Amino acid sequence: MTLTKTRRGLLLGCALALVTSLSGWTNEAQAQAFPNKPVRLVLPYSPGGIIDYVGRAVATHLAGPLGQQVIPENRPGAGGITGTDSVARAPADGYTLVLMDPAIVINPTLQPSMPYDLFKQLTTVSMISSSPEVVVVTPQLPIKSMSDLIAYGKANPGKLNFASAGIGTTPHLAGELFKQRTGVDATHIPYKSIGQSYPDLMSNKVQFAFSSIAGALPFTTDNRVNAIATTGKVRSPVYPDVPTADEAGLKGFEVDLWLGIFAPTGTPPEAINKLNEALRTALKNPELIAALAKVGVEPRGTSPADGDTFLKAEYAKWKKVIEDGNIKDN
Amino acid sequence: MFIRAPKDFWSGLMFLAFAAVTIVTASGYSMGRGGRMGPGYFPTLLGIVLAVLGTILVIRSLIIHGDRVERIALKPLVMLVGCVVLFGMMIKPLGLIIALPVTTFLSAFAGDDVRWREAIGLSAGLTLLSLIIFVYVLGLPLPVWPDL
Amino acid sequence: MMDVLSNISLGLGVAATFQNLLYCLIGTFLGTVVGVLPGIGPVTTVAMLMPISFTLEPVSALIMMAGIYYGAQYGGSTTAILINIPGEASSVVTSLDGHQMARQGRAGPALGMAALGSFFAGTVATFVIAFGAPPLAKLALQFGPAEYFSLMLCGLVAAIVLARGSIIKAIAMVVVGLIFGLAGSDVNSGIRRFTFGVQGLADGIEFVALSMAIYGVAEVIVNLEKKDGAAGIAGSIGKVLPSWADIKLCIPSVLRGTALGSVLGVLPGGGALLASFSAYTLEKKVASEPRRFGQGDIRGVAAPESANNAGAQTSFIPMLTLGIPSNPTMALMIGALMVHGITPGPRVMTDRPELFWGVVASMWLGNLMLVVLNLPMVGLWVRLLRMPYRMMFPAIIGFCCIGTYTINSNVTDIAVMAAITLFGYLCLKLDCEPAPLILGYVLGPMMEENLRRALLISRGDPTIFVSAPISLGFLIAAAALLLIVAAPAIRQRREEVMVE
Repeated sequence: MTLTKTRRGLLLGCALALVTSLSGWTNEAQAQAFPNKPVRLVLPYSPGGIIDYVGRAVATHLAGPLGQQVIPENRPGAGGITGTDSVARAPADGYTLVLMDPAIVINPTLQPSMPYDLFKQLTTVSMISSSPEVVVVTPQLPIKSMSDLIAYGKANPGKLNFASAGIGTTPHLAGELFKQRTGVDATHIPYKSIGQSYPDLMSNKVQFAFSSIAGALPFTTDNRVNAIATTGKVRSPVYPDVPTADEAGLKGFEVDLWLGIFAPTGTPPEAINKLNEALRTALKNPELIAALAKVGVEPRGTSPADGDTFLKAEYAKWKKVIEDGNIKDN
Repeated sequence: MFIRAPKDFWSGLMFLAFAAVTIVTASGYSMGRGGRMGPGYFPTLLGIVLAVLGTILVIRSLIIHGDRVERIALKPLVMLVGCVVLFGMMIKPLGLIIALPVTTFLSAFAGDDVRWREAIGLSAGLTLLSLIIFVYVLGLPLPVWPDL
Repeated sequence: MMDVLSNISLGLGVAATFQNLLYCLIGTFLGTVVGVLPGIGPVTTVAMLMPISFTLEPVSALIMMAGIYYGAQYGGSTTAILINIPGEASSVVTSLDGHQMARQGRAGPALGMAALGSFFAGTVATFVIAFGAPPLAKLALQFGPAEYFSLMLCGLVAAIVLARGSIIKAIAMVVVGLIFGLAGSDVNSGIRRFTFGVQGLADGIEFVALSMAIYGVAEVIVNLEKKDGAAGIAGSIGKVLPSWADIKLCIPSVLRGTALGSVLGVLPGGGALLASFSAYTLEKKVASEPRRFGQGDIRGVAAPESANNAGAQTSFIPMLTLGIPSNPTMALMIGALMVHGITPGPRVMTDRPELFWGVVASMWLGNLMLVVLNLPMVGLWVRLLRMPYRMMFPAIIGFCCIGTYTINSNVTDIAVMAAITLFGYLCLKLDCEPAPLILGYVLGPMMEENLRRALLISRGDPTIFVSAPISLGFLIAAAALLLIVAAPAIRQRREEVMVE
């Protein structure tokens, strides 16, 4: 990874000093078609999460169609900002990419200062996947459906708590969106990860949460918490018997834990197109599809332009939720 | 002077300074209201507790006799902290292959009993060992060569 | 009873196949190695092996990952004893007496006792899991935010007992540690605190940078000041293994440590860490001459090491029976299981008994392997100590730099290490001990998080801490402990004043 890059750098430096001039070298490099060396895929979270898992699976299956190795590299820190920033500053040559989740559009609204400008410094290669959240409720209350939850909340104002994986995470903002849509009053209880909140959900200290499917599965399979809705456009294959929020009465209520791959702005269009094409081919590979399905993630390739449009829509959607909910002031 | 326990006196002052920085910095964060404790509440509380402890130490040091502070050895302190800082400055531009041996070699001079040959051998050996373990066996993403 | 026995034999049948023994050996060996190495811990190792584990049987994968986890706990104590650098927070207490022993030429007995104590504790804890997993899992569910807060408070009071010198300084160091721990993004508000605008501090102060600064670099500086070479290790290496007298002396300590570790380890979060700290505190309180602690008492190694290993073992209980990860390594294991189509939870025990019991049995075998792997190594490690200090300390400095950098590839961590070295040196000069600071640093964020969460849930009503019986119990214990600790000090002080 860095090794190959730096070693190459040294060789290059020697060559530079000894014989060739810089311009001579760049012409030579441009003559070769993209990609002529391994591509680095930055995963801006710690190992073990969904991004890490999906990133490694995609990297493995992307190598074939791309004709080059794709090396995943964890660069965790600051809710994904550190890793994303490192890519925003990387050379725009298509050899450094980042895999990110909705935090990439939430951070610019939520954080008082950002080290990079999302729309100026990064450009979409492709959306990768889509995954609904699942609404889980404590088994200790007689809440069996979305309408039960709303009715309980209205009848017992100030009693409901909802858990999240931290301020500004998708589970948090989904909960805020739910409050704004239904007028139900609920107190937000942030945890470090959604998994940490399950003991409190089981013992009714917290009453509901918008959870990732991977986080919820161990607890919903034996009804230690109840799944009452999923937030996708259609039902999740993991929860075929659980209605979507839309079906359960919240018309148009959709929350998507999408993932996308981004490159520094200024990356040559040929490189972007080559990467996009390879990605969309990889995402049709049944092995990759099966690997993603295990954690409730569905592949979704887009063109770079469609990806950008989607990104801007998501940015606007969460910006409104954050501003309407006064989330920054709390 | 009135200071009877210099060690306690200076530790008290150190804690007071630390408390002051904490309280001043935390004053920029919201204290919260009601059940919603803000991000500034806990640090401010800790800062106050620390300030009280520091004050007790200072006052006590004026009453009860205690140990003197031994002389501060500037040479190892400055040299070793300097070596660490130097490593931080070198690792990215120059890579492990230069940063590690230079740091190890220079730090050997913090002691009184320096032997040139030993220091060179040691830094070369440690660098080789680190390259094998961290870079080749574990494959950690370390910059190895200078980034030109 | 019969059930458990037949289950254990089922488990042994699974764990003792050639393939699984091999993965167990690989895991424990890798774990020991990364435990000794700075800058790479069990989390990174397990993460790097994740892709390989997908190709293995789920039982083999879990056996290997578990081996890495408890093997690392084991390896961490080696550096703590030999060069006073605790690789993990739970080895901090081991370094207190362990490194003193090494300096007195008794590194062998210290390492040997750590290995034997850990093996005994691991064996007992395996049976604790076998017999007690379901009821102990229920205990973990009893713990809400209020209970955790009170437990942490109790643990912090216990940290004060660790200190040899002034109690006021020890409390102050705990508070400084708590403040250090708060730096970085706040879970409850998302605001970044004490980062002074530095991006690299957004996730707070890195533990490895903190411990390497204080126990590595600052300690070296203090040692270099002692011109007469007192810093080095006493001339004779002495015996390599603990004597019978050592072992006899340690038996009660190991038993107490094992008991404490087995119970506290079940609690997700700081359980295993609190276990080693409280085991040390307990020994110091029980001992007839507590002053010997901190100066190379072998019981100060035996008790925390047993507690640490027992806790590492029983921390699998919430993961295996509830699907709740106690720490990041466990979270990775849950992830690996889910990829294999197994959802961790109470049903694993009934639906996949071969998995559950196979892993439990492999833990005992793994502990046996650790002793077999490590006892012969003791001689080798001890020989390493014969190296003159003028060669050892530059190596320690290089070790600290590369170890801290590899954690996040972040230069800020190196800068933090340099700054904390200055602070740590000052503390050592002023007789302010660092062990309470480390515990405060680790527990601080969890303590604040749970305090604020408890108050959010109770809508600001502080009586939540006394109305919950478990929480009240811990608060009373904390108060009692503080009194016991403070009483002799106050008496002594009065005498001092009288003398004047």
